[in-house]
Amino acid sequence: MGKYKNPSRRDVLIGAGATAAAYSMGDLILPNTSLAAMKPKKGGKLTYAILTRNSKHKSLKTAKHPYQGIHIRTKNVYNALTWVDHDIQAQPEVATKWEAVKDDQTIWEVDIREGIKFHDGRDLTVDDVVSSYNFHRDKKKGTSFAKKMLAKVEKAGPNKARFFMKTPNAEFGWWAAEYRQVIMPAADIDKIGLDGIGSGPFKFANIDPKRSVVYEANQDYWGEGPYLDNLEVVYQQSMGSAMNGFRAKQFDMILGIDPAMVPQFEKLENTTVDIAKAGSQMLAVMPKYEGSPFMDKRVRQALTLAVDRQKIIDIVYGGSSAWLTNDTHMADFNEDFLPRGVVRDVAKAKKLLAEAGHPNGITLPTLYYSSYYPEIDRVFQVMAESVKEAGITMPIELKQKSGYRKWRVEDKKKTRKHRFAMGPVGPRNPAANLFRMARPTYNESGYWHPNPKGDEFIALYKKAMATGDQKERRAVYHEMQRILQEEVPTFFIIGRRSIDVFRSNVHGWKAHSQSWSGKFDTVWKS
Amino acid sequence: MLRAMIRRTLLSVLILFLVAIFVFLATEVLPGDALDVYLSEDDVAVMTEEDIEEMRHDLGLDIPAPIRFFTWLSGAVVGDFGVTIVDQIPIGNIIFHPLLNSLQLGAIITLITMPVAFAIGATAGYWRGQRTDAVVSTTTIIGYSIPDFVIGTVLIIIFAVWIPLFPAVITAYNKAHPMELLAVSLLPAITVIIGHVAHLSRLLRAGFIETMNSDFVERARLSGVPERRIVWRHVLPASVIPTLNAMALYMAGVLSGLIVVEKVFGYPGLGIELIEAVDTREVHVVQAIAFLGAVLVVVMNLLADFAIIALDPRVRSHVSER
Repeated sequence: MGKYKNPSRRDVLIGAGATAAAYSMGDLILPNTSLAAMKPKKGGKLTYAILTRNSKHKSLKTAKHPYQGIHIRTKNVYNALTWVDHDIQAQPEVATKWEAVKDDQTIWEVDIREGIKFHDGRDLTVDDVVSSYNFHRDKKKGTSFAKKMLAKVEKAGPNKARFFMKTPNAEFGWWAAEYRQVIMPAADIDKIGLDGIGSGPFKFANIDPKRSVVYEANQDYWGEGPYLDNLEVVYQQSMGSAMNGFRAKQFDMILGIDPAMVPQFEKLENTTVDIAKAGSQMLAVMPKYEGSPFMDKRVRQALTLAVDRQKIIDIVYGGSSAWLTNDTHMADFNEDFLPRGVVRDVAKAKKLLAEAGHPNGITLPTLYYSSYYPEIDRVFQVMAESVKEAGITMPIELKQKSGYRKWRVEDKKKTRKHRFAMGPVGPRNPAANLFRMARPTYNESGYWHPNPKGDEFIALYKKAMATGDQKERRAVYHEMQRILQEEVPTFFIIGRRSIDVFRSNVHGWKAHSQSWSGKFDTVWKS
Repeated sequence: MLRAMIRRTLLSVLILFLVAIFVFLATEVLPGDALDVYLSEDDVAVMTEEDIEEMRHDLGLDIPAPIRFFTWLSGAVVGDFGVTIVDQIPIGNIIFHPLLNSLQLGAIITLITMPVAFAIGATAGYWRGQRTDAVVSTTTIIGYSIPDFVIGTVLIIIFAVWIPLFPAVITAYNKAHPMELLAVSLLPAITVIIGHVAHLSRLLRAGFIETMNSDFVERARLSGVPERRIVWRHVLPASVIPTLNAMALYMAGVLSGLIVVEKVFGYPGLGIELIEAVDTREVHVVQAIAFLGAVLVVVMNLLADFAIIALDPRVRSHVSER
């Protein structure tokens, strides 16, 4: 056996050069077979299982309507003006361009893409955009985001629509991507959308409004794809049955799996587990009425400093499928996300509690939660255990999901107070995220308002919405997040990343943080 | 005898009324309402409490409970279960196909369970105390003890995952053709049949043994009637009578007993519809399904009572004396 000699710098350089040359020669001599194999293939059917269903799904008569499909993923059949990509950036879809034509960001003009055809062969025109948005903003039949924000929409040219917002909205591009705000062929408000005609990559083929939908490819789709002939969505009531279906090869894909199931799926052959950049968060509403311990800011600060979020991530999420929240609605992949300076500080938490008159620790009211996510019990158990280190006793209790929201908020006559309780938060753009703490009448802040800092927060929100320049807006967003991190009106427990699982012969799919924004246009099967 | 039958019928009507009240009260005490489930977190994030209250008023959710109950009941007695709260869809439309699907699965299960349970029960009863009886008794106790969802899951793993003969999950539509459903119903049916055969065969075994020990069988034996004839012509029919009530309740209970298996396999039946109605707080659908279940139990029980009165001379004479 020859004696080992440490390679000299010259040896390393020669070796590296030789390797690079061999690699490039290899490319010349042999075609890149892996790239050739990755060329999208047309045909086939993909079946995916979903574990949550649109709460507005209805009868067969209305099942094709974008508000009432079995799944909130309207992207299979319909297009919106814009869509939100995997980095939560607004991208063109039916709109090719959108710009504010008034400095205060209240009037927007949108250029409509030419050459888009609906499934029935009709051209998509600006009249369809106007008609669709008149429906979306209708007081009785419309959708919340449009009703709240859109005052008027009108035709401004052959391919141009003009939107008049009720209040400034610098993030129009994200607002226009909301999953219900799709473009449908113009029709009366009572009829629009019921025929299921969209301009998306797939058309409705078969529907059971409560169980599944089969789509077929739209051969005249204006964009890339679709490559699949058919796409099927099957609703499953439990993770167990979805997994059985996947193992029995009935399903090619399951969207939104329980993080605890990841190791089991990873053991299966030819299976890919894909974790999105972000997903939903869990927050805890801290009631601020007379007599509540959360009236004292120091108690709120102590609580958020005491939680061992990293332990939750390690124990419940296998170290990777969750992220550290920053005590705001922002997700860590938002460009404007401002991390908390200190993640956990038990000593400071104890000091704050002592200053607040609890030198021997504090017993908080029961924190209620509901089964919004399959792993939620484990999250709350680890959290309740971790805050004990700071002298905080926090009883926890699971409540039934049905009726939970009504139960946790106060009644109309305010004879029952709202509760210390968990709520879910979807991943969205900063404007939609931070708006939730800028509403004095909304329970989620635990009625932090009226409050000088709360007033400052609202003023900053209004300023951000009227600021067209993204960098300037980001500075305002950072200021708003600093206020929330100092005031802790609401305590954010953990952020979870969406997890999808699919067979290895499925290509072109990537888990999306906003589960409703994923698109099957370019997905194919080998 | 006629008077007894009328009395039983009136009692059944009273029971149905009480069931209707009980189901209504049970749905009333559930937290939340249909609107609460209907609205998403996104909706609530941009709505005011006044907006929500207005919607609640529009849907009639603020009408006092007694008025809602009697409105529903007055329709239900003539077969009109009303409409769903949020979507205003006739409830008959919602439950019709799931009901047919469940009845189909229930019929398959009953048609297989009855003869199999009868054969096993009679075999064990005839050879009571012997090895055959011991094997049958032990097996039935095991079969009866294992919950349906465990049997179902094991069957899925074996016959859908390891040996892919059947689907693990039934994806057929609510309105699927009966033959399409029949083709995929074997695993759910076997899941239920195992437990039911175990239960019924034990009842039939006891009835068989009791009949074998009765005076008329002893007299037949002493008269020289061949054993085979005694068993087939006398013991088997007579041993059914004590179990008629149990069988009637079993048949009526097949529907409610299907909830678990429908959930495990995703079978598009009434059980899944009931779970969903509870989840979405569509109380009228819950009431309709529970009411139908109660009607079925009462009617089957009534029929069993009538059958016993008609078939058993001892009961008939006892009823006539009263």
